[in-house]
Amino acid sequence: MSRQAAPAEAGLGPGRAAPAEAALGTRRQALAAAALAAGAALPLARPAAAAAQTSDVDHLERLLALEQRLQSLYEAALQRDAIEPGLGETLLEHESEHVRGLEMALRARGRRSPRATVPPPQVGTAFAGRPAFARFAADAETEAVRSYEEVLPILRSTRLLLPLGSIMASGAQHVVALRQEAGEDLLAPG
Amino acid sequence: MLSSVAALEHAAAVAWAAIGERLEGEARGYARTIEARERRHAERISALIRELGGEPPEGRPPEEYASQFPLMRDEEEALRFAADLEEHLVRAHLDALQTLPEEEQRRAVAEIAAEEAEDLAVVHAVSGEPVAEFPFVTGTQ
Repeated sequence: MSRQAAPAEAGLGPGRAAPAEAALGTRRQALAAAALAAGAALPLARPAAAAAQTSDVDHLERLLALEQRLQSLYEAALQRDAIEPGLGETLLEHESEHVRGLEMALRARGRRSPRATVPPPQVGTAFAGRPAFARFAADAETEAVRSYEEVLPILRSTRLLLPLGSIMASGAQHVVALRQEAGEDLLAPG
Repeated sequence: MLSSVAALEHAAAVAWAAIGERLEGEARGYARTIEARERRHAERISALIRELGGEPPEGRPPEEYASQFPLMRDEEEALRFAADLEEHLVRAHLDALQTLPEEEQRRAVAEIAAEEAEDLAVVHAVSGEPVAEFPFVTGTQ
């Protein structure tokens, strides 16, 4: 179903012969996923840093909850035809990759990933139509990007900076895609 | 590291001015907006350098940068350069992020990295390409 490789196996599966551009994307995914895994594995090799890692775990759990919320949003939007299917599938796949990567990082720290159980507010009006959903989702993606911007400066594990930064950058691109879907200016004034 | 990022942002602002000359309509408007953004990024990074007691690099005259830009004979070539430039900027900021020890420095670079990723998405949009193609956006060196 997914056109994207799982974080743990990105670019490693058999039968992945692809055009050059697709291969480049796969390599990028593999590098980011590998970096996330490497950053995740480091604490196990350095148990003395447990106190510092507790803080990183809290941050990872917060980011995971946001990514799970976005994943749920796109699943619901696709079911209700509130998003153009091609865009919706792409964004859902990306969120699934983000969730998997963050879950890997948490599992490596001995944590079970929390599940988002509370539906996001204003869901009723958000699904009223495609432009309305695009605006709602753009706001949710913007909130997630802001959260990464808050977390990245205070992470203890510098090995998590590149992979989490690459997820943040993906989220920033989602915002632009959703503004385009909503028929809005692609760049917010600022 | 911050000095090289500041120098890159100075060059990027001039590059976007040149790119904008090859674009029309809405695309040109985005080029102007992104050019202004790059100038703000250069100023923000330069301020960080000064706070650290350093002397940030000054921007050079546009003609000095121009010889380093690829030939842009039409909109397609200009957008290709824009995409390469923004890929490079995303990567430069994500790389810088990993080397900076102070919270404020990291925050500034992270916020700029997110804006560069947005700018790259805008280039994809005006090029008629998928706006958000990959789940992990690392840029290119």
